[in-house]
Amino acid sequence: MKRAFLAAALLGASFSAHAVAPGGPGCGWGNLIFEGKSGMPVHLLATIVNGTSGNATFGMTSGTNGCDTSGALTYSGESLLSMNGVLEEVAQDMATGEGEALTALSVSMGISTEDRSHFNGLMRDNFAAIFPSQDVSAAEVMQNITAVMQQDQKLAKYV
Amino acid sequence: MRFALLCAVLLFCAPAWAGNLQALADHPRWRALLHINPGATLRDRHRSYVDDDDFFLAERGADDPLAELRASVVALRPDEAPARCRFPARYRFLAEQLNWRDPAPFSHCAEYREWRAAVHAKRAVLVFPASYLNSPSSMFGHTLMRLDQGEDGAVWLSWAINFGAVTTEQDNSLFYIYRGLAGGYPGRFNLVPYVQKIQQYSNMESRDIWEYSLDLNQQEIDWMIDHLWELKDINFDYYFFDENCSFRLLELVEVARPGSGLLDELRFAELPVNTVRALDQEGLVTERHYRPSKEQELKAFSDRLDDRERALARALADDPSVAERADFQAYAPGRQALMAHTAYRYVRFVNRKARRSEDVAGRSFALLSLMNRLPPVADPAPAERVPPEQGHGSQMLAAAGGQRGSDDFGEFTYRLTYHDLLDNNRGFLSGAQIQGLGITLRGTESQAVDLEALDLVSIRSLAPRDRFSKPLSWYVEGGLERAWAGRRRLVRYLQGGAGASWRLGNLQPYLLASARAENNSEFAPLITTGGGAEAGILYHAGRWQWQAGGAGHYFVNDVYRHRSTLAVQYALTRQQGLRAEVEREGWRGDGETEFKLQWRWYYD
Repeated sequence: MKRAFLAAALLGASFSAHAVAPGGPGCGWGNLIFEGKSGMPVHLLATIVNGTSGNATFGMTSGTNGCDTSGALTYSGESLLSMNGVLEEVAQDMATGEGEALTALSVSMGISTEDRSHFNGLMRDNFAAIFPSQDVSAAEVMQNITAVMQQDQKLAKYV
Repeated sequence: MRFALLCAVLLFCAPAWAGNLQALADHPRWRALLHINPGATLRDRHRSYVDDDDFFLAERGADDPLAELRASVVALRPDEAPARCRFPARYRFLAEQLNWRDPAPFSHCAEYREWRAAVHAKRAVLVFPASYLNSPSSMFGHTLMRLDQGEDGAVWLSWAINFGAVTTEQDNSLFYIYRGLAGGYPGRFNLVPYVQKIQQYSNMESRDIWEYSLDLNQQEIDWMIDHLWELKDINFDYYFFDENCSFRLLELVEVARPGSGLLDELRFAELPVNTVRALDQEGLVTERHYRPSKEQELKAFSDRLDDRERALARALADDPSVAERADFQAYAPGRQALMAHTAYRYVRFVNRKARRSEDVAGRSFALLSLMNRLPPVADPAPAERVPPEQGHGSQMLAAAGGQRGSDDFGEFTYRLTYHDLLDNNRGFLSGAQIQGLGITLRGTESQAVDLEALDLVSIRSLAPRDRFSKPLSWYVEGGLERAWAGRRRLVRYLQGGAGASWRLGNLQPYLLASARAENNSEFAPLITTGGGAEAGILYHAGRWQWQAGGAGHYFVNDVYRHRSTLAVQYALTRQQGLRAEVEREGWRGDGETEFKLQWRWYYD
């Protein structure tokens, strides 16, 4: 049942990438380059009690507060990209060829330690192909990454 | 019925443990699993902190660990007992202690097993988002626990365990604060992707994050995660001062390693920084990592530019086509890259809370593409930072002697919390002052000991402005102090102001407009208001911290008052400082000068 939910979330992401903020509507915050949904304003006072509004999420079993966290950390590249704000950080890391977001992406795609710097370099060299415009969606980025990796001798085995 | 079953179970296992039942109920891990207060805070001593019937199997389980133990044995012993799916850590504890042998005790717990398969960790890390200027509500910081799935640096795939109050959005702010402080909200654990926390703290709130790897082995971490499941949707009381996020995390560590000694001492308040200190002192911290906020990263980049480059980077941020201009092209590619990075980070930073717009997204994207075309830039080495737990203690006692006019005086001060602009700023944000509950008693030659001042609150945020960041500087303070009203009297006051501050090398000048409301026994109106200004300059060098400044106020009843100060503090050690202060207080037609030498001792 959870898997079905995850699959639905992924399909939803690819079919309606521009209608729904990554992670689900009402989830996350901030002005993102790649997805047009302004988030929940941070209630400054919430800082005091480190509050969560409404139901507390609890890893996979949540989804009740509008945040789709199911499968978010299940080591799958696209679900990572679909999280709010991650795409932007990945783009920044890809532009320069290094960073934590890129590491997380390569780990989530199962790329072994010795191939990671090659992956980083490849992503940097193909930044323009992977991020063709500011209107690109997470699903498109994932497709572009896959396409680039398929053309690469070392990395083709991962896709 | 339940009693009969219990008897059956007891008889069945009697030889093995009947006599040890009480001993088992006193076992540190059992008490940790039930969150029994070992005397660490005033409320609920020697009973459970958990405020939720769903957490207990016995009717008086919250008060009686033995009764809860008996009920747990009954509920968890049978094969495929549904309670096992709710209390896997309890089951593990009892199975270990009572030699229950079931090779697959959770085979019927599909939900738990699915969750547990997703939530696993090789490393536990305590995370401390430090306070940030301009938000007093963050002043004490926060702590959470991170669970790293691997050891590969992919912390974006880690989980964050967070304890916080569960609030409703309808409440207005004042009520919210009151309830937060007074325990009106239930507190719950939740589990979110750590990347969301990075975005919240590092990106949105500009808070630096300190991460402390804990010396917990795989088994201990598993205890913690198993127990975490038992806390799903379970309510605790949330009290801002003591039973807060930090305290609850210490309880989790206690579950992982019972008898860690972390909860032995009674505390009135649990400051997150003290939690870090406690873990450090118990030898639980193996590694420390500093994660600068996005604002700090921007600053580190702009610090590497000269003035002309900064201006160009700023122009580039507004219009990426500046990159085509001859004056930009004239720079070496490495310098161009630095400017592009600075411009990109600036655009992201200033728009971090705004709605998405095509303009900002377009500029950001153009700058990213520019960065991609230019040679890579090494990330700036993070500025030398003193970790917050190495800062001075949160409470302070001080003794001083001095002279006011022609009167000698002696003085004694206690301050509950936390830091002022002259205190040793190692481990603190510079330009930030947070003081709460300070009391000063003064005795003079001519008069017995009397109250000199009672500071309820004093918060100051002097945030320097530069080309990329234009924060407001402000302050608010209130309490009782001595001031001139016909004679020197104890007055009740509330004062605040706003303005700007700049950084020039080690100098930090500031200029603020200010307003004051005062009540005293001389002025006719109940509350007399006044307006004025305040200006000053801070100078920091090594162990020396200087401040020169003055403030003046005109009151509506035509009273005029001003106060000028020159003060310096020398940090003797981490926990001790020596402060000298000259103050000139003036009013229409006259004034008084005071000199004071003070020894300050920080502790806790």
